[in-house]
Amino acid sequence: MPVTTTMRRHTATALLLLPALLFLALSFVAPMLILFKLSVTAKEGPLWAYGEILGNAVYLRVFWNTLVVAVAVTAISVIAAYPTAYMLTLLKGWALTLAVYGVLFPLWISVLIRTFSWILLLEKNGPVNRALVASGVVDGPVQFLFNNTGVLIGMIHVLLPYAILPIYANMLRVDGRLMLASDGLAASPWMTFRRVYLPLTMPGVGAGAVFVFLLSLGFFITPALLGGISNLTVAMLIELLVNERLIWSLAAAASFLLLAAIAALLAVAARFVPLGTALEAR
Amino acid sequence: MRDRGAGFRFAVHGLGSAVLAFLLLPILAVVPASFNHGTFIRIPPETWSLRWYQRFFADPEWLSSLWTSFEVAVIATVLSVLLGTSAALGLARVGGRLRATLTGLVLAPMIVPVVVTAVALYYIGRYWGLTGTMLGLAVAHVLMCLPFVVLNVGVSLRGLDPTWLRAAEGLGASPARVFLTVTMPTILPGLFGGAVFSLITSFDEVVMSIFLAGIRAKTLPVKMWETVRLEFSPVLSVASTLLIVLTVVLFGLFRLADRRAQP
Repeated sequence: MPVTTTMRRHTATALLLLPALLFLALSFVAPMLILFKLSVTAKEGPLWAYGEILGNAVYLRVFWNTLVVAVAVTAISVIAAYPTAYMLTLLKGWALTLAVYGVLFPLWISVLIRTFSWILLLEKNGPVNRALVASGVVDGPVQFLFNNTGVLIGMIHVLLPYAILPIYANMLRVDGRLMLASDGLAASPWMTFRRVYLPLTMPGVGAGAVFVFLLSLGFFITPALLGGISNLTVAMLIELLVNERLIWSLAAAASFLLLAAIAALLAVAARFVPLGTALEAR
Repeated sequence: MRDRGAGFRFAVHGLGSAVLAFLLLPILAVVPASFNHGTFIRIPPETWSLRWYQRFFADPEWLSSLWTSFEVAVIATVLSVLLGTSAALGLARVGGRLRATLTGLVLAPMIVPVVVTAVALYYIGRYWGLTGTMLGLAVAHVLMCLPFVVLNVGVSLRGLDPTWLRAAEGLGASPARVFLTVTMPTILPGLFGGAVFSLITSFDEVVMSIFLAGIRAKTLPVKMWETVRLEFSPVLSVASTLLIVLTVVLFGLFRLADRRAQP
């Protein structure tokens, strides 16, 4: 009798999981495997596509540009996120609610809309340039768009919440008595920050940095609209290879090189950063 | 921490507020832009009018893309809720490595860059007749929405005490009755949250849709994407404002239901 009960239980579990797994197998796993096959079955040879991308200065520059943008976006986001997250820990009541919504709300607005908004704000005759010229900071309008400046502004805007949230969640878990103890031992506020608070909040900083960096590696919409054709990112290159140049093997190889970089990064990051707890903080 | 004085607190609040303003103001800038009268978008508008709203609602292409977005979002949400809830219930019943592996598989579309998933689906979709169809768009959107449903339902499942299930079974309730009277009320907030997240995700999805859309199946973000690459028409800010309003309404509904669920 217990055996059949256990079996029935297992069958029920399998039936519950089956629909989603079948769906993922057909619409995610199978397409990814076929894409991988495309990357190694070019008529020029099995590793031709990878060699072509890794051996061609034009493609390598795209990967380099993507890396540079991702590093810059990550660094600026984390630096801006840290004091913002700290401010959240100081707020109470309605001010806290308002500020937390302020961080969460942008996450729910389409990246396309946010990018479009930056075009309106940063264009030659847009409000930002008008204000800069009127205040005499610059002589003529600044070229923000169609270069890496615009891409950085747009991407930081989209990715900042992903840095703020894990840092804030980490700061909430810091035991305030440790700071009191440090103060009591006559450490200066700077010393207390550097030796106690900063190390205790580093896991949050690490998790935020990993999220922002990972997401920025695959960014498409923002660099495609705010960047110039001379600052291609890997995601733009993949789109270009598929839609304009119709070279599937190269697009597939670029995709899997990008994925390999992400997987390697995740594997390394998982050793140092508690990504799971940070993800729950969202 | 020791009181660091007014100067320090002023600096933190100043920096933090500046960052919050940076996050919020650009989103709000699109709204006044939609009330421009001129052909060129100016923020704030020199003359205000509803001219571009009239243009939007008189244009069959914009209207049909809005309608397609609604249809795709509803199909994708229903599918995501069904598949995701079932998967979350199943995941709660397995343990250890299997659970970690399967959860990883469900969440993988969140980690793999969307362009890569889109290209893979686009390639296979051409053979399976998915490109340029409502079904293809819905399938792609389910891939993006599913993690939200599984995570949300999974979180609310943690509030389910297994002894209640055993108590209900012990009292002779059938599995279906246990599900409806014990499990369902517990996971309802998570299910509702997952559904709202799915609707918003599907409405906002661009990258997958760009690849999979066709002339007969084009969502609002795809139409916006095509337009923004040609011209900065003020109609774009109208479409953006409508999407923002829709998101705010959905988000508000979600918070309301969430508050009611947690007394």
